[in-house]
Amino acid sequence: MASGLDAFVNHTVSIITSDGRNFIGTLKGFDQTINIIIDESHERVYSTTTGIEQVMLGLHIIRGDNVAIIGLIDEDVDNRLNLANIKAEPLNAVVH
Amino acid sequence: MLPLSLLRTAQNHPMLVELKNGETYNGHLVSCDNWMNINLREVICTSRDGDKFWRMPECYIRGSTIKYLRIPDEVIDMVKEETIVKNRGRGDMKSGRGGGQGGQNQRNRPAARGNFGGGRGGGKAGGQGGRNPPFQKQKPKQ
Repeated sequence: MASGLDAFVNHTVSIITSDGRNFIGTLKGFDQTINIIIDESHERVYSTTTGIEQVMLGLHIIRGDNVAIIGLIDEDVDNRLNLANIKAEPLNAVVH
Repeated sequence: MLPLSLLRTAQNHPMLVELKNGETYNGHLVSCDNWMNINLREVICTSRDGDKFWRMPECYIRGSTIKYLRIPDEVIDMVKEETIVKNRGRGDMKSGRGGGQGGQNQRNRPAARGNFGGGRGGGKAGGQGGRNPPFQKQKPKQ
C-alpha cells in the first residue's frame, strides 16, 4: 500500500503529537502504524511570553499512536523565520 | 528504514523512553519485539513532573504505552540494510493487488462490489460511482 509519507522521507518534517508537542526533524523512516524515525530532531516549545524555544533532541522513534499531523517543512521559508520573535500559545493535548 | 529495525539495532544501547502518561524510563535496551514491547536494564524512572525518581535493576514496558524513544545518534548508522528488500516487496504489492485494481474499478465498473483484492480501495470508489449518477439526474428536476 502506498503511503503519502514516502515522499517525505529524508526531508525535514514537522510532527505534531497528540499531547500537543511539535517535533521537527529529518524523516528517516516509518511503518504501517505510522511509527516514525526522525533524525537530528528538535522540539519547538511555544509560549505567549517569550519566543519559540528550541530543544535539541537527536534521534527519535515516535510511536504512531501519538502522531497527529506530519507536515513537510519548506526549509527556505523555515530558515527565514526569526523564532525568537514568534509568540504563540502552546497546543492543548488531544481530547479522546 | 523501519522504526522497529532501528529499535532492534539499538539493543545494548542506552535510551530514554517516554510513556503516554508522561513517565520517562532511562536504561539500556535488552530486547524488543514486533509490538515494541521492550526490556530495559539499570533503569531510572522519572515521574511525570520530574520530581520523583525510582531506580530499578530491570523493567518490561508494554509497547502500546510508549509515546516515544530517544536513541543515541550513532545507532542509525548501524542499521543493517534490509530496506532494499522491503521496498521491492512493497512495489510488487502495489502493482499486483489493491492499488492497481482499485483504479480500474473506479472507471469501468462503478457499481461492482466485493471484488477480491480491490475490496478496500475499489469498493469504496465503486460506492461513490453508484451514488453520483442519481444525484446528477435529480439536479435538472430542481
